[in-house]
Amino acid sequence: MAEETAAGITTDPITSQADFATTPVHQQGNEALAIAIGVAGWLVPGLGHALQKMWGRALGCFLTVGALVFLGVGMRGNVFNSDGGDAFGMLGYVADLGTGSFYFAARALETQGSDVAHAEGDYGTRFLAAAGVLNLLAALHAYEAARGRKA
Amino acid sequence: MIATIGFTLTHFQAMTLFALLISIAFGFLSRRRTSDRVKYIIWSLFLFLLIGVGIGWAMYPFSR
Repeated sequence: MAEETAAGITTDPITSQADFATTPVHQQGNEALAIAIGVAGWLVPGLGHALQKMWGRALGCFLTVGALVFLGVGMRGNVFNSDGGDAFGMLGYVADLGTGSFYFAARALETQGSDVAHAEGDYGTRFLAAAGVLNLLAALHAYEAARGRKA
Repeated sequence: MIATIGFTLTHFQAMTLFALLISIAFGFLSRRRTSDRVKYIIWSLFLFLLIGVGIGWAMYPFSR
């Protein structure tokens, strides 16, 4: 039989007992932890999942984002910076920054600068942007998993 | 000292590599079981390539 607590939270003493994660205090703590996990996942691709012992997903995220960044730099794609100038430059910067710490690795690795005059450089730019957006998606997934919404 | 890296890929190689990496990431994020992941990755890769080549063919008459 479901019971309602003073805080208005419904609990079932037979099946799920009191779900402490749904009480306001614990929920606040979980939310802060989930945000920290999301930020960790953004800074280091896969770390958000690794902290939750989702090793396969952590490794998958790290390797795919890392490979995309490595290939993007190798193809001399454009690594955007903050003074991009126009809206597309800023969008590219935000997308590239999505790779977290890999953004700085990309900047350090691309010693010869970008070469978007050729198709390879153009592809490289897309690889880098896709890596960033993919990592943001993975970080959001880790955040949602930490909140217990999906895994 | 960081060595300079460089790749020379054809359009198809770049597209295939991109599709493969994105498919792997999506497969790992959206599926739990290994068999489901493999199925998802193969299916996603196939659709990426099919749609990519299809759009390429659709644009062919306008390329010259």
